[in-house]
Amino acid sequence: MPQERNLTGCSAAAQAAKLAEVEVICSYPIRPYTAIMMELAKMVANGELKAEFVHGEGEHAQLSVVLGASAAGARAYTGSAGVGVTYAFELYSPIAGGRYPVQMAIADRTLDPPGDFGSEHTDAMSFRDQGWLMGWACSPQEVFDNTLMGFRIGEDPRVMLPQAICQDGYFLSHIPDKVIVADPAQVKEFLPPYKAPHSLSPTCPVSHGPQIRPDQGAPMDAQRAATFLEVPKVIEEATADFNRIFGRNYDPFLEKYRLEDAEIAFFIQGAHANTCRKAVDAMRKSGVKAGMARLRWLRPWPTHEIAVALAHVKAVGSIETSTSYGGAMRGGNLIHELRASLYDLEERPVVTSFMAGLGGETIWPEDFHFMAKVLTKMAKDKRADQYVRWLGFEAD
Amino acid sequence: MKPFDYKFQTFEPIKSFRSAPREEIYVPGHRTCAGCGPALNYRLVAKAAGRDTIFVGPTGCMYVANSSYLCTPYAVAWIHAQITNGGAVASGIEAAYKVMAREGKYDGPFPNIIVMAGDGGSVDIGLQAMSALMYRGHKVLFICYDNESYANTGIQTSPTTPYGAATTFTPPGKAIPEGKTLFPKDPPQLVIGGHPAVKYVSTTSIAYPLDLMNKVRKALSYPGPTFMHMFTPCPKGWQFDESLTVEIGKLAVDTGMWTLYEWEDGAYRYQHLPKKYKPVGEYMKLQGRFAHLKEEHIAKMQAFVDQKIAHVKATAIPVEAVPPMAVKKKKK
Repeated sequence: MPQERNLTGCSAAAQAAKLAEVEVICSYPIRPYTAIMMELAKMVANGELKAEFVHGEGEHAQLSVVLGASAAGARAYTGSAGVGVTYAFELYSPIAGGRYPVQMAIADRTLDPPGDFGSEHTDAMSFRDQGWLMGWACSPQEVFDNTLMGFRIGEDPRVMLPQAICQDGYFLSHIPDKVIVADPAQVKEFLPPYKAPHSLSPTCPVSHGPQIRPDQGAPMDAQRAATFLEVPKVIEEATADFNRIFGRNYDPFLEKYRLEDAEIAFFIQGAHANTCRKAVDAMRKSGVKAGMARLRWLRPWPTHEIAVALAHVKAVGSIETSTSYGGAMRGGNLIHELRASLYDLEERPVVTSFMAGLGGETIWPEDFHFMAKVLTKMAKDKRADQYVRWLGFEAD
Repeated sequence: MKPFDYKFQTFEPIKSFRSAPREEIYVPGHRTCAGCGPALNYRLVAKAAGRDTIFVGPTGCMYVANSSYLCTPYAVAWIHAQITNGGAVASGIEAAYKVMAREGKYDGPFPNIIVMAGDGGSVDIGLQAMSALMYRGHKVLFICYDNESYANTGIQTSPTTPYGAATTFTPPGKAIPEGKTLFPKDPPQLVIGGHPAVKYVSTTSIAYPLDLMNKVRKALSYPGPTFMHMFTPCPKGWQFDESLTVEIGKLAVDTGMWTLYEWEDGAYRYQHLPKKYKPVGEYMKLQGRFAHLKEEHIAKMQAFVDQKIAHVKATAIPVEAVPPMAVKKKKK
């Protein structure tokens, strides 16, 4: 029977990994994701989970261990946060290019300097172009659900790609919420066992990762790019199956909140969406036609879905919880791809961005009301007067 | 908890070079240099290990010169690792096989998992992953095939490059006449010194192939992590004639530049110790990398080697009287 429990995002991830019967786990401590590994270590110690628990000597090793485990045919799980995510950087491309569908749980944390435990998406965003599937949850329940969906999508023979299952540090990783922990039979129905097509084995003398000639590089890149064109279909199927089996109601790519008749919209990723929803409700009460589009998958980026969802909106504000110093639009990362996604519309909304929630700061309801004021004026003027606003630094 | 039977393999020693397995696991078709010590070494290691083997190949000559797309020379499963992480990738493979054996997903003999890492991939950039593997006790043989430089990238100094060697990062010049001024790391002692899970460490040379193969087989028969430091001369990097690879290997042992030994759970045994050591100059004069050295530099090298020899003699451990197989005469 599914059980309703009060779980943090970390606990939810660990419970889902257990139900996914992960076979090799590799740990290294760094706040705030550590608790995922603490819980899994307990499960292994108690004999509840029959996995090999390897104490990696760092995040670079964590990803190397799961690469080897996945290549040998095991379902492998690891995780990290902040500078741990960047310490592992060398391995992201070999894992994705080698088509090893490992899963990495990330509880976001700012990068140094200076040391800051707060949540910010810059850590995981830094490897968004390395060929991983990557998505953010906005509740411990969604962390649980995305963990299972990640394995299902990543291990699909049409995909075979690693997954970064991200959650905001502290806001999700450490604050408990109601989570329906699935029944093992439901998980079995949803998630077939991992089958590696050409695993390293004495009975299969295969070479993984030999050198290639330059002229062999482009075809491989093209193949990886082509795979990403297939992924949305697989995400749609998996989400439909997930909704049916577990009784949920996820949109595969975008959560659309009160968007149908919205004139202004917030474009957001992660847990600050919870505050955003409440703020939208309050705005609606006072006659402001606001809505929210929340990104569930950053990779693959749902270009078409975003264009369709926001085509009728007059002004969109991208809420940036990551930095892109010196980039176009002078702000964060999301706005680049958001604006690109809307470019081909005949009539497109005006777009600006808000730097908010950096360093682990809360984005408060009044912040959303401030942003709504900016967006309403933009909608009226039919132009964005600024590429970006840093919340809290504006003289309003 | 009852110990699980993982079906670890054990190997009998090979009696003579002629009775070594005929089957080649490291097959022709690679692009290594003529006279390549590491390639010869690979062939012997693979032959000794046999079919039920998975090789992990961190970046280095034995990756780059071996694996051109679709024509790798490995007749068994092989995976490339980054130069940084051979130990960690091997740990993951071993962990996977353990869990798959326990869960009934795999029921064959536990594969030999062998990391074939160069000196950089073992004790420089790869040191952390190697040490962690040794510490955690995975059943993996980690081999440091030592050609005493980053050879694949064009002969740059590594922590095992000897004192006085010219490399492209330690060129001799007016200000630094010796080229390399530092003395090398000692890989087997690094492992022996601080990894309680390790019960077997040995050193080998391609000039002593039977000794080499039997040490590989012994290492693979241990249920835990093992480490081998293998002397693999590099004609290109050391600048000697490619016909002299085996000769250089013998001279290294005869001069005390290299010592063949086994360490088993605390006990040392030496092999092929010369009765009388030749001066190091005899070894060095065949190699262009030492050609710039002056008398005083060679004397400094001799003093370093003398210290090593004194240590070997001080331990007063019996030497195994096995002649080098390359010169063994047929019985009449």
